Amino acid sequence: MARMKFLCDSDRCIECNACVTACKNENEVPWGINRRRVITLNDGKPGERSISMACMHCTDAPCAAVCPVSCFYTTADAIVLHDKDLCIGCGYCFYACPFGAPQFPKVGNFGGRGKMDKCTYCAAGPEQDNSAAEYAQYGANRIAEGKLPLCAEMCSTKALLAGDGDIIASIYKERVQTRGYGAGAWGWRTAYRETVDA
Amino acid sequence: MQDGNKAAGEKNRVAERRGFLRTLGLAGGAAAAAAAPAVAQAQAPRLRKETDAEKVAARYRETDHVKAFYRTNRY
Repeated sequence: MARMKFLCDSDRCIECNACVTACKNENEVPWGINRRRVITLNDGKPGERSISMACMHCTDAPCAAVCPVSCFYTTADAIVLHDKDLCIGCGYCFYACPFGAPQFPKVGNFGGRGKMDKCTYCAAGPEQDNSAAEYAQYGANRIAEGKLPLCAEMCSTKALLAGDGDIIASIYKERVQTRGYGAGAWGWRTAYRETVDA
Repeated sequence: MQDGNKAAGEKNRVAERRGFLRTLGLAGGAAAAAAAPAVAQAQAPRLRKETDAEKVAARYRETDHVKAFYRTNRY
């Protein structure tokens, strides 16, 4: 069974933010929420690196472990999704996530957070596949259409890889064998408890 | 005699008022009946949610589209 993963090759990322824009456009993500964002480390200094970051769909997802209403579930292809009808917007998942993936729309007064929103790996949620209700709540379901997340498909430098973990790891290994070791597959050890060694 | 007329007038006024309320009630009922199908229609597009088995079913397929993505990423 294929295991879906993201891999950001930070040696290739040029911080163009096309992945961020593609995600927002494809899923009609509301103002104030970014399911994906680009983070730059050592900005302006030697060794500067940019990393495109979203929900990594962890193997043993800490967000699911702390959710008091058990709104998270992991699909057979290892995509971590959540049910917004169950979410109470408590924010525990945000504190548990090592990547800062869960986002809240800040609706209402008195500090109400609203329903949590995060990257769905373009696999939407528990509504009927590719229905209007599913799109309104969760965004596009490209996986059901036989495609991959648009952020990765849009990446002009092919820095962001998505798909079957074994295949994208082999692609990354080929790159490393050709160009030499770089910054590593950032976040893999945290999310999937493994490294990509060439 | 005057008392009799007064009582009849009072009765008519009460009947008019009740008639107005009856009309209002009927109109309200008719409006609700008319609105009911509209509400049902508005709810109709909302399909049932997926079952627990459907929710976690694997959806990834290695289509030609996906294969092209893997191939171009090897360049």
